[in-house]
Amino acid sequence: MNGPGAASVASEPIIEVVDVVKVYRDGNIRALDGVSLTVARSEFVSITGPSGCGKSTLLNLLAALDQPTSGVVKVNGRDLRQVKDLSRYRREEVGLVFQLHNLLPQLSALANIEIAMPHSRGRSQSRAERARDLLAEMGLASAERRVPAQLSGGERQRVAIARALANDPGILLADEPTGSLDSASVDNFLQLLRRLRAEHGTTIVMVTHDNEVAAAADRTIEMSDGRVVMAHVS
Amino acid sequence: MPIISVVLHNVWKKKARSLGLALAIAFAVMTVVTLSVVGDGLEQSATAILKVGKANFTIVQKGVPDILNSTIDQGTLTRIRETPGVASAVGVLVETEKINAANPVFIEVGISPSDLKPFGVTVVAGHPYSADATNQMMLGWRAAQHFGIHVGDKFKANGTVNTVVGIFSTGNSFGDDASMFPLPALQGYNRVPGIVTMVFVKTVPGVPVSSVTRRISRNLPELSTITTASQFGRADLTLVFVKAAATGSAILAVVIGAIIVGNTMLLSLFERTREFGLLRAIGWTKTQVLSLVMGEGLVLALVGAGVGVGLSFAAAVALEHVPALIGVLHAHFTTSAFWRGLLTALVMTLLGTFYPALRAALRSPLDALGHE
Repeated sequence: MNGPGAASVASEPIIEVVDVVKVYRDGNIRALDGVSLTVARSEFVSITGPSGCGKSTLLNLLAALDQPTSGVVKVNGRDLRQVKDLSRYRREEVGLVFQLHNLLPQLSALANIEIAMPHSRGRSQSRAERARDLLAEMGLASAERRVPAQLSGGERQRVAIARALANDPGILLADEPTGSLDSASVDNFLQLLRRLRAEHGTTIVMVTHDNEVAAAADRTIEMSDGRVVMAHVS
Repeated sequence: MPIISVVLHNVWKKKARSLGLALAIAFAVMTVVTLSVVGDGLEQSATAILKVGKANFTIVQKGVPDILNSTIDQGTLTRIRETPGVASAVGVLVETEKINAANPVFIEVGISPSDLKPFGVTVVAGHPYSADATNQMMLGWRAAQHFGIHVGDKFKANGTVNTVVGIFSTGNSFGDDASMFPLPALQGYNRVPGIVTMVFVKTVPGVPVSSVTRRISRNLPELSTITTASQFGRADLTLVFVKAAATGSAILAVVIGAIIVGNTMLLSLFERTREFGLLRAIGWTKTQVLSLVMGEGLVLALVGAGVGVGLSFAAAVALEHVPALIGVLHAHFTTSAFWRGLLTALVMTLLGTFYPALRAALRSPLDALGHE
């Protein structure tokens, strides 16, 4: 793959974005303007750029929350327009982490993870065990009964990651995940992402406007005005 | 986490909203069940008079607004008695009188003492009045108990002071709450000489009741024959109107309840737009979101139905004690009234919840996540 967004590692691409354009309905806003990029399996990529450059729009397309106006978005070799069950795709193939308000306030940390497994065939006990394991992996074993209001910003984001990983997806998509965290929490969060990648081989695509956070990834893709303008390996 | 757990959790955690919705449902259920119970109770009270006489069927005047307005003259009574297949026909005059504020509808039956036995009346204390007595009467044992009257005591009714010569039992609470007078005396008190309100007919054994009723209907088209309680409405238009009004009010209650539930659900779901967007974003299907919202509605419907039926019981009992309804309304709680309450809650919740739930399920997750 050529161009600034091409994968820097010569391994099998898990994400392929080819000449994607996204124009919003009124036709005046061209959020993405011919974006092409690939992400290799188990790669940690950050997408950075100023506000309004189209990085969140790109992440939404990867999460199948939106569709491109033209161009192709392929994940695991499948064009997302051909995927019939997008709910299943969002549930099993990708995990999503948002910046704010990403936990249900009325549910405990454990229940917030369990709701990501509504289709789980196992007994409710096994769902709870899986959620507990994930909380333990995030270092929050003692916080399972606490509701989001009783957790710090960093703890909430770790619960959100645990929920994103509940169905063991191959790809983690994070939209400004450190936007509401203090610097110590940011460091912990980035360490956690690196550990996930190392231990589980999870592919991570993280959108951030913070260059220091972006530098934690294997590769940074820089966007401006809906285009990929630069890609560099950290 | 199974959806049912999330449903129960949401209902429990959002107590104010849940309580408001459950109460809206409960009040609608209470209205429907109370109207139903009252309607059934009025029908029971009205039809109970038919069961006082141990007859195969009853005859009243056709097309009267209230069965107590029925008038059948002596000549017609004779023709009924002469109809083939009729073993006996007992004509009775039924009147009501306000004894005092606590007893606004006291039933008085005018009947000949010779007809008491065929009518199914047993004198349990004292003796029957004589056929032409003017100041004698009998009280049903429940009425005697209620008024604290014994044989030989005086009882003022029809503007005269009567001696209670006997206490009777009919085996029917309606009859046992009433009083009986010699027929000519009651006709005289009420200035309707030779008139009876209804006729209780026993057929000759072996003769089909239907063939006798057909014959009477053909020969005396101005009369209605009533074999079952359900035929009562043919003769009593007031009851038909009462039941129609109750049905109309029940439908209105369901519609108003559904609007309240729908409005509250819409407002609530509007506030929860991001929540549904998040659920869709993490892989919940539209059906699951729909099930979540409908499930919350269903739980509230069940709670509302339970509370509503409880409230309707209290309301019906309270209505029984309203002075104007004492003795007339006996709340008639049946299993069907409870099922009607549950059905009301479910229909109302379905009507009120489906559209908001559909909106929540069909909204694009990205759009919902961007909702402030």
